[in-house]
Amino acid sequence: MSVKQKKKVLEKPEGYKVISDDDLFRSSSQYRLWSFTKEQLDTKRVDTNAHAVAAIEEKLTMFKKDYASDISEEDAKMINEKAIPLTAEEELKLVDFYAKKVQGIAQHLNLPTEVVSSALIFFKRFYLENSVMEIDPKTIVHTIIFLACKSENYFISVDSFSKKTKASRDTILKYEFRILESLKFSLLCHHPFKPLHGFFLDIQNVLHGKVDVKYMGEIYTKTKKRISDALLTDVAFLFTPPQITLAALSLEDEQLTEKYLETKFSNTDTIIEASKDTNEKDKDSEVIKEDRPDKINYILLLSLIDQCKEVMSNPSQVSMEEAKSSAAKLYFCNHPMNIIQRNKKTQPDGTDSKEESPVKKQKI
Amino acid sequence: MSSSSSQFKQLEKLGNGTYATVYKGLNKTTGIFVALKEVKLDSEEGTPSTAIREISLMKELKHENIVRLYDVIHTENKLTLVFEYMDKDLKNYMDSRTSGNSTRGLELSLVKYFQWQLFEGVTFCHENKILHRDLKPQNLLINNKGQLKLGDFGLARAFGIPVNTFSTEVVTLWYRAPDVLMGSRSYSTSIDMWSCGCILAEMITGKPLFPGTNDEEQLKLIFDIMGTPDEQLWPAVTSLPKYNRNLPKKEPKDLKKLLQAHTKEIVDDQVIDLVTGLLQLNPDARLTAKQALHHPWFGEYYQQQ
Repeated sequence: MSVKQKKKVLEKPEGYKVISDDDLFRSSSQYRLWSFTKEQLDTKRVDTNAHAVAAIEEKLTMFKKDYASDISEEDAKMINEKAIPLTAEEELKLVDFYAKKVQGIAQHLNLPTEVVSSALIFFKRFYLENSVMEIDPKTIVHTIIFLACKSENYFISVDSFSKKTKASRDTILKYEFRILESLKFSLLCHHPFKPLHGFFLDIQNVLHGKVDVKYMGEIYTKTKKRISDALLTDVAFLFTPPQITLAALSLEDEQLTEKYLETKFSNTDTIIEASKDTNEKDKDSEVIKEDRPDKINYILLLSLIDQCKEVMSNPSQVSMEEAKSSAAKLYFCNHPMNIIQRNKKTQPDGTDSKEESPVKKQKI
Repeated sequence: MSSSSSQFKQLEKLGNGTYATVYKGLNKTTGIFVALKEVKLDSEEGTPSTAIREISLMKELKHENIVRLYDVIHTENKLTLVFEYMDKDLKNYMDSRTSGNSTRGLELSLVKYFQWQLFEGVTFCHENKILHRDLKPQNLLINNKGQLKLGDFGLARAFGIPVNTFSTEVVTLWYRAPDVLMGSRSYSTSIDMWSCGCILAEMITGKPLFPGTNDEEQLKLIFDIMGTPDEQLWPAVTSLPKYNRNLPKKEPKDLKKLLQAHTKEIVDDQVIDLVTGLLQLNPDARLTAKQALHHPWFGEYYQQQ
């Protein structure tokens, strides 16, 4: 009966818009607001850093002026030595260091891959708009994860989140709106996991009989893990989800990926010719040719995948020492008074009181 | 997106959304009316996740048949979503056309124009992998230019996100698909299409097609008119959690006769064919939004192009 009731549908009128998945991605807020060229991304970070450095320097100058009578020459020297604003590179390293923390905590909470990934994306986006010198990354780590839970519709109450993470309710909620605003309310993330599923099915289809199903299962799991880790790098700012997926697949099994792409895309005209035969009714094949999603510039695709692999293969390695040294600079920039007090403490008998340094007490 | 609350003058209350109160507002700088959706900030949980999801989806949906989110403003204890202002919703509009006790539908040419715009908006949502899940006349907004736009995405979801059974309780019964009523959890775009069918029938007759007061009655009303489903018509039906084997076997009623009784205009076969395509009990047999846009009933719109 359902077959009998199938409705006759009008032929598509000429010129009626055909929308591909790529068109959809291009209209998404992820593409409109959060996709950049490498140069744009660098510029953005340099600008955010410069803005924050200027603010810190102004604050320090004010501080020295306000306490002019209390600051000895030596104090002033200490301030100049210790309260050094971070460079854009140092900021990025600190962000990367904490991004790993975000991933670690979210995974430890056993959150779904999408939630972990959104949290990472939000965190990295937040620090394009804000400097670590304005908002200390460790104060928003939990807020970001909690927000990702909400936006991915993964229900968890503040109380149980607080219990599990040992973060206070205030810490979890304090910067929520500031984050939403910095994210420009763009919360829907297109992660590469759906494309991964699609390519996984399509590879088995295109290379039917040439791939082992069990092997493909292993590749799927490994590629998924590789994508999750790739989100720690800048790939999501620089490439589309399918590009990231193909790059991750290629890092896992280059031969398989090449064979698939070659079979699928290298001779698109042939594919279109072939499909025309089975679909003789299409009078306006010119239009269809234009709109075919598989009409892809094969050479360009390969080069993009290579570029993406390059970014993925070079995750930033930040040592605990580097992170601590940046955190210390950050601390002194925001608390110059502590440099003086610390200096005074070491003065009378000249003993070093490093043990009491607030930096040491700072938990990273 | 960087307005402040002082930029808007709050005017009369327009109604209550799923999780917020909506006021008419005036943008003092531009002189343009807006709809201000005020969300109380719960100090317990921070920004409600319903608001987060509505904002998140509305940021993606820029289409002439979907109401626009202009801005989000944060004040001490509330969050205000600034939406495009629409004069009425379809429910008010239909009510305002009801004279005395006699309900009557809208002119068919207008029904067609509204339904077309409804399909345009729904197609766009579905292409963007978003389900509205709460399509009903109250959520279809209309302005004086005759434009119709989808509003209130408070219950909308991106596909692939598991929908918990709790939230389905919120959705208005009258426009809820039989598969959802019978506890299907694997529903998809077809649930919005069922609602579109109910809305189309309601615009023609001026009264709701299936005005049930509880799940059981809702299903009974549906089966009374559309017939009781069996495995031949809908193979998976018997395995649905709330499938009732003991329901009396009803034959489908003549929809044309039913709708014709409430309108003076001639209800043609094509619109009946469209309603039938939308109100398929089996979700897999229901028309998709895109198919519906290409239905012959809209043929004149294509010829004009």
